[in-house]
Amino acid sequence: MKQKINKNWLEWTVFGVSAALIALVLGFLIFESATIGDALPDIHVLTGTPEARTSYFAVPLEVTNKGDQTAEGVHIEVVLRSGGKEERADLEIAFLPRRGAREAWVTFKTDPRQGTLEARVLGYEKP
Amino acid sequence: MTSSVSSSLREYARGVAGGLMFSLPLLYTMEVWWAGFVAEPMRLVVYIATVFLLLLGYNHYAGLHHDHCWSEVMIDSVEEMGLGLLLAAAMLFLLGQIELDHNAYEIVGKITIEAMTIAIGISIGTSQLGGGEKETKAAAEASAQKEKTFTGQAVIAMCGAVLFAANVAPTEEIIMIATQSHIAKLVGIALLSVALTAMILYYIEFTGSRRLARRNGVLSVIVGTVISYAVALVVSALMLWFLGRFDEPSLLTIVSQVVVLGLAATLGASAGRLLLQ
Repeated sequence: MKQKINKNWLEWTVFGVSAALIALVLGFLIFESATIGDALPDIHVLTGTPEARTSYFAVPLEVTNKGDQTAEGVHIEVVLRSGGKEERADLEIAFLPRRGAREAWVTFKTDPRQGTLEARVLGYEKP
Repeated sequence: MTSSVSSSLREYARGVAGGLMFSLPLLYTMEVWWAGFVAEPMRLVVYIATVFLLLLGYNHYAGLHHDHCWSEVMIDSVEEMGLGLLLAAAMLFLLGQIELDHNAYEIVGKITIEAMTIAIGISIGTSQLGGGEKETKAAAEASAQKEKTFTGQAVIAMCGAVLFAANVAPTEEIIMIATQSHIAKLVGIALLSVALTAMILYYIEFTGSRRLARRNGVLSVIVGTVISYAVALVVSALMLWFLGRFDEPSLLTIVSQVVVLGLAATLGASAGRLLLQ
């Protein structure tokens, strides 16, 4: 039962766009699966310039995962050493995708601009 | 006959409404977003292929264009999947789940995983929510005839199972129930699933169930129930595998999860199927 397909221009447009989208997504996923390795999560924390807020100081963090696997529950600690005193701040990021990045902030009572900041990853788990 | 632009526009709008109706719970669930980037790319490819096969099946057996040939079914399925991707991208953007500074894999993964259930919803919405402007009685009967075949029933049951099970499959609760329940309770869940399946299909006279129950008899009730529940278990297992829940070593936990999810899936495979066709 061979039939001629009757479609108007709108239907052909939707079909064309859909086909292109599917091809794009499939192409991207296949490319990713071919290039991705199984490197374990490799997490880097970069501290930015501290900013004064109303009643505390905020330090922006850029957390990147250079590994090929996603990390869950990424626990990060930032230590501020200033004038012989130590202040600690920590935060947890629920999910850090493979090769992904997240922005975060930690806050301090003492002014971090007067001291040194040290950030490190305390731990994370496999999702 | 070529349909007018305004009527095909209305058809797409129906699909969009259906797609959102059936998949909104998933768009609002964070475990689904996470699954989008935790899943390996190859799993997503398999997921897309599986859903595409389901769409082909559904459009063939229950779709809107009853006078279709296979190429038309193919075109409809591609359109539904494409609209699903667009709709998923738009919704995730509005919900703040995709930002331009996220990496490409995260964005594509989230959109893909959400788009697949939306696509099934679009397919069902287009064929079920319609006013049936074009549908003639003869065409409806022809499709009813086709639905009665074994494969037709199985495909529609699978779509129903996916649609129902997808809402709970990605949640933490499935693994919690599976690992914390006493084994006797899990057996209870399985028995309840079987009883519900039999009841919905053959006893409570659900809309559309008469079509199935025509050849009544104890044997056909048993066979029908067993097949429905089997479809539900297979769908549950596939979804859990896709979500990475089979990556753990304990066989008991794996089977328990399938049983826990199977209850939702079998409701879809029996009640859902009767409503969808």
